[in-house]
Amino acid sequence: MEEIVTRLKNAVINYEMETIADLAKQIVDQGVDPLVAIEQGLAEGIKTVGERFGKGEIFLPELVMGAEAMKAALAVLEPAVPAGQHRATLGKVVIGTVQDDIHEIGKNLVSTMLSSNGFEVVDLGVNVPAADFLKKAGELKPNILAMSALMTTTMPRMGEIIAPLKKENPSVKTIVGGAPVTDVYAKEIGSDGYSGDASGAVDSAKKLVG
Amino acid sequence: MSYGIQRGIRFQILSEEDLDRIHWGTLHILEKVGVQVDSPTCRKLLKENGCEIDEKARSAKIPSHLVEEAIRKKKSTITLAARNPKYDARLDLNHSHMCANGNGAVAVDFETGARRNSTKKDLIDSTTLCDALPNVHVHWPMVSSTDMPPSVVHLHDLEASLNHTEKHVMYETGVTLADAKNLTAMGYAAAGGEKEYRRRPITSCLQCTYAPLQHDAGVMDASLEFARSGVPLVFFCMPQPGATGPATMVGSVVVGNAEVLSALVMTQLSTPGAAVIYGLGIAPLDMRTTVRAGGSPEHAICSAMGTEMAHYYGMPSCVGVSGTAKEPGIQAAIETYTGCVGPLLAGADLMCGIGLLEDSSCLHLEQVVIDDEIVGAIARLIRGEWACDDTMALDVIEKVGIGKNYLAQKHTMQYLKTDHFMPTLIDRRSEDNWSKTGKKSMKDTAREKVKKILAEHKVPALPDDVNKQLVAIIENSRKDLWGGESKVQ
Repeated sequence: MEEIVTRLKNAVINYEMETIADLAKQIVDQGVDPLVAIEQGLAEGIKTVGERFGKGEIFLPELVMGAEAMKAALAVLEPAVPAGQHRATLGKVVIGTVQDDIHEIGKNLVSTMLSSNGFEVVDLGVNVPAADFLKKAGELKPNILAMSALMTTTMPRMGEIIAPLKKENPSVKTIVGGAPVTDVYAKEIGSDGYSGDASGAVDSAKKLVG
Repeated sequence: MSYGIQRGIRFQILSEEDLDRIHWGTLHILEKVGVQVDSPTCRKLLKENGCEIDEKARSAKIPSHLVEEAIRKKKSTITLAARNPKYDARLDLNHSHMCANGNGAVAVDFETGARRNSTKKDLIDSTTLCDALPNVHVHWPMVSSTDMPPSVVHLHDLEASLNHTEKHVMYETGVTLADAKNLTAMGYAAAGGEKEYRRRPITSCLQCTYAPLQHDAGVMDASLEFARSGVPLVFFCMPQPGATGPATMVGSVVVGNAEVLSALVMTQLSTPGAAVIYGLGIAPLDMRTTVRAGGSPEHAICSAMGTEMAHYYGMPSCVGVSGTAKEPGIQAAIETYTGCVGPLLAGADLMCGIGLLEDSSCLHLEQVVIDDEIVGAIARLIRGEWACDDTMALDVIEKVGIGKNYLAQKHTMQYLKTDHFMPTLIDRRSEDNWSKTGKKSMKDTAREKVKKILAEHKVPALPDDVNKQLVAIIENSRKDLWGGESKVQ
C-alpha cells in the first residue's frame, strides 16, 4: 500500500497530469484508504512542489502543472472518501475578484498556492458583486474571504465588502491583494490580511487561521 | 520645429512575410475561436453585422471581411490636441511621442521617503513635472488621487491633470458607460464646448482589452460612447507570454492583435471613421516571481513588433515600457533604456510608461526626470544622420585645414545646438570637480531638478467658469456605494 501512495506523491512531483487519474483509480480499486492517499500522497507531493517553487528551483508553469495533477487525482479520490469523513485542511477560503474587474491570473495563482498548501478553496471567479461575496461568506462560513482587484478604479470595492462583512459575519477574516493594493491600503479598509504576491498570501492565510 | 521626436533611423524585426502571416493567423483565430464579448450591446451589433454569436459563452466569431472593412475605415493620422496648441501631438507614423506611465496607486513621498498610497497632491506634482519636461509629450495621470472619495477618484485625476498641464491628457479610467459620459463632459468643458472638442480633442482614453481574447462589458460600452463623442481611443492589449498568451512573443502578438482588431471592428461598426490607436504592451510573466517582466528585452521586442503591426495596418501605435525596479537607480535605468530604445527604433508613435517603478505601480518623482533624460538620449540616437553640404562641411574642413581645430567656427556653434545631446543629469565633469561639489549621485541631481521645477514652473489653470463646471460634474457623480446587485440566484 505504501508503495502506491509514494507513486501518487511522485506523480504530483513529476507533474503527471495525464496519467495520475488512472493511478488514483488503481488506488481506489486496491482498497487503499482514500484519505491516506490524499494526505500522504497528494498533499505531501504538492507540498514538495510548493517548496521547490518557493526556493526558486522550479518555475511557475511547473507549480501549476503540479496543482493540476493534484486536482485530477482529487477528482477520483474525493468521491471515494466514506461519508462523514473529511480530509484535514488548514481552513476554508472563499476567493474572488471584485465587480467590474476581470483580471484573474493573480487570483488564480493565489488559489493554486493556497490549495497547494492545504487550504480548501472556493473560487467565485471574476467580476463578483459585493452582494455575492457577502452571500457566499454567510452560506459557506469560510475561515477567510480573499478578494483581489487589479485596477485603481475597482480597488475601493474591497472596502465595501469588508465593512458589512465585519457586521454580518465577524468571524470571517479577510485578505486583499492585487497590483495597486498596499499594506497601508489594506489596513485603511479594515482588512485582516494583505499580500503583494501569491506566496505571501499563503503566509498571511496561515497566520489568520493559526 | 515640429513637436515630438524626429525619426530618421529604424530597425525592422518582422519581415513583410512575417507581418502577413501574423495578420492571416489573427484572422484565422477571430473566425475560428472568436473573442468573448461581455457587452450585450456589442454582441447585438456584431450579430447584426454577420458574426456568429454564442449567447451562452458570450462569444463572437468575427469573419475576415468585417476586420478588413474596419481597417479600411481607420484613421492613419490622429492628432492628440493639447490645451496649448504648441503641444499638439500629431501621430502621423513619422514622429515618436513619449508619455509617462499612468494610474499607479502608490508613491514614495518626496519629503519623507515613506512609501504610501498616492494622493491628489502627488498627481498635481507629477503633472507639473511632466508639463515642464521636454521629452514627455503627452500626459497620462501618473497616480490616482486615492485620498478622494472612491467613486470619483478618476474624475479628480482628470480635473487635476487638466489644470496642471497644457499637454494632451490621456486617461485609462473610462471603464463604464457612466465614467465615459462624465470624462467626456469634463473634456468638453475644458475644451470650451463639444464643437471645439471635436475639432481639437484635448483628452483621449486608453482602453485595455483582457487577455486572452476577452472584452469587458463596461470597457466596450464606454468605448462606443467615447467613439460617438469624438474622444480618441487606444485599444491596448496586454497578454503575458507564458501566462495569458503563448510563451513565444509572436504567439502573444497574435492574441493581442486579435483583441485589438476585434475592438476596432466593434468601434468602426458603431462609429465609422472613429479615431483608434493600436495599443500593445506585452511583457512576459516572470515565472520565478509571478511579477510582470516590465522593461525586459521581450517587452521591448513586443512593443517594437506591435508598432510594426500597427503600421502594417496604417494605424498609429501606442506601446508600453515599464520597470520592475523598486527604487531609482541602476536597475530602473537599465529597464527604461531597454524598454524604450527597441520600440522607438522600430518607430513607435506613442510610447507610454516612463516614471513609475514596481511595474507601473509606484511614483518616484526623481525617476520621472531621470527617464526624461534617457528618452532625450534615445531621441538623439534615432534622429538619423544624413550627408549633405551642411553636414559634410567640406568648406569648413578646407578652411580649418590640417592640424588646427574647429572650436572657433560658426558651423560648430550652429550644429552644437542640433547635433550634440546636452544632458541635464548625466555628469561629465572631471572627478576633481565632481568631488568638490559633494560627489552627487544621479538621484541627488534628479532631486534638485524636481525641486527646481516644482518651485519655478507655473502652469496656467483653466478659467474659473470651466473649473466650476468640472467641480459640478464631480459632485453630481459622487456615490456612496456602487458595488452592484447580486448575480447569484
